[in-house]
Amino acid sequence: MKTEADYYALFDAYRAGTLPDDERTTLERRLAADPELAQRLQEFEELTGTLTAYGRRLALRRKLHAIHADMDAEQAVRLTPLAKIAEEDERHERFASGQAPRPMLRISRTEEKLRAFWNGHRATMMVAASVAIMAVFATLLGLEWWRASQKPSLYGYTVLRREVERIKRTQRSMNRTLNQIEAQPERSNPGKFSGTGFALTADGYLVTSYHVIQGADSLLIEGRDRQRFRAEPVFTDVAHDLAILQIKDKTFKGFGRLPYSFKRGQSDLGEKVYTLGYPREDLVFNDGSLSARSGFEGDTGFYQISIPVNPGNSGGPLLDDKGNLIGIISGRQMDVQSAAFATKSSYLMRLVDSLGAAGAGQSYNLPRTNQLAGTSRPQQIRKLQDYVFVVKVYE
Amino acid sequence: MGKGQPTYTDEEFVAAIRRDDDRALAQLYRLHFPMISHYVLQNSGTEDEAKDVYQEGVMVFYEKVREGSLELSCQIKTYLYAVCRRLWLKRLTEKTRYGGRLDDHEPYLETGAEADLEVAEERDRQLGTMSQALERIGEPCRSLLEGFYLLDKSMQQLTAEFGYTNADNAKNQKYKCLVRLKKLFFSQYQEHET
Repeated sequence: MKTEADYYALFDAYRAGTLPDDERTTLERRLAADPELAQRLQEFEELTGTLTAYGRRLALRRKLHAIHADMDAEQAVRLTPLAKIAEEDERHERFASGQAPRPMLRISRTEEKLRAFWNGHRATMMVAASVAIMAVFATLLGLEWWRASQKPSLYGYTVLRREVERIKRTQRSMNRTLNQIEAQPERSNPGKFSGTGFALTADGYLVTSYHVIQGADSLLIEGRDRQRFRAEPVFTDVAHDLAILQIKDKTFKGFGRLPYSFKRGQSDLGEKVYTLGYPREDLVFNDGSLSARSGFEGDTGFYQISIPVNPGNSGGPLLDDKGNLIGIISGRQMDVQSAAFATKSSYLMRLVDSLGAAGAGQSYNLPRTNQLAGTSRPQQIRKLQDYVFVVKVYE
Repeated sequence: MGKGQPTYTDEEFVAAIRRDDDRALAQLYRLHFPMISHYVLQNSGTEDEAKDVYQEGVMVFYEKVREGSLELSCQIKTYLYAVCRRLWLKRLTEKTRYGGRLDDHEPYLETGAEADLEVAEERDRQLGTMSQALERIGEPCRSLLEGFYLLDKSMQQLTAEFGYTNADNAKNQKYKCLVRLKKLFFSQYQEHET
């Protein structure tokens, strides 16, 4: 009985062609008859075949490595012949003199690594950089926008003119398109901003805040009784946030006698004060105290008052208990609890006086008597409410 | 390129490699390496990775030529590019969860390289198994078989090297080693297959 190794010797000789003719024919006959033997031969061939192929693969790999190494060496010589020569020189020199080595004209290992890193991650880094830049600009723009929306005023604090809600407008225009069949008469639009104003004289002068009418194309005054008048600014005082308007409508017959008077002096701390205004579609009352005799950042043209005011309150009258008008609501400070500011009435008086002195044919007949003194607050307000108006601003 | 070296056309390259002309192989290797190196570096690879990928690609090409089974329907350059591109793509997906696009700077054509690569991969697996089997077979079988099959030493040389009394002894030893290798090789190879 032959061992497997014996068969392998036989196969080897058979493949090498060194088998005598008679043995070869016997083997071939047996291979044809015995599938197990044929299988064995096949395995032998696969094994030796793979071995040889493996050998060739290794040889080829060595060859390619050698070629590549050659190539690298050539390139190194081509790229840095000067550096090489310098290095050689230096080595000789160093041997001769024992000096410290000179810096070499060669790309350092770290730089090589950095370059490889750059090559590998360039795309990613570009993307990251552009995202960062976008983020920075978006933040800056956003901040700028936010600040602009927070502080639209010249005065450093939040002025209180009201932006009439956009939703309402779109809803209205939607309704209008839906009801187009009814062909309603064209209604005037509700205006972009609104504030509050009050009568200065009986013959049609009004006072409001400058920032309410800032940038206005046309102004509309609307009273409690929904009566509308067209008005025009006659004078503005930007520094004290004051504006004087005059009603230009021909149908306007005058307000009648004003129930309040204007205080020329300063009011005292702790005085009970209140205001009326149009932060909504309806007249709103609010009260509080006079908390400081200077305004934002120590501005002596203003009072600080502890009245909760809202956008739309701007330009409203500030009255004390006796029904004297002592100020005009201007704005509030966002980061301080209930700190609102009102222009002092003394400044309004000074403005009116100087305008009267300048002449120009107009005279301001300010009310001299006060009908409010001594009456209760609801009574005061009942009298007052006809002299406080919504100022609508169209841009 | 080379100074004073002969330049080959694609057909001459194939013929020369079939003749086992090492100079032609070296020439071919040098000719196309910059292209692949550029490609790999462009696509977030390193110089070393470019070298590996290129060598693998050249090996596929070389073995196809040596087998005589190469049906070159395009330039060698395009073929190599296709093979290396495929190899690099595979490496990238293995290396990272790279889902990006590859920047091509050569026209990418259907070259049959894909099919060739599958054959080559199967072969790689086979050779890998062989390498493992050789690792595990132990001495002196390993040196003997490596000497005979991988380093092309003659039986006489090996007899002298291993101190056998005559060539027949050495041969017998070789056959015994082959039987052992066979067992290791086929058991592992089948293990892989299932």
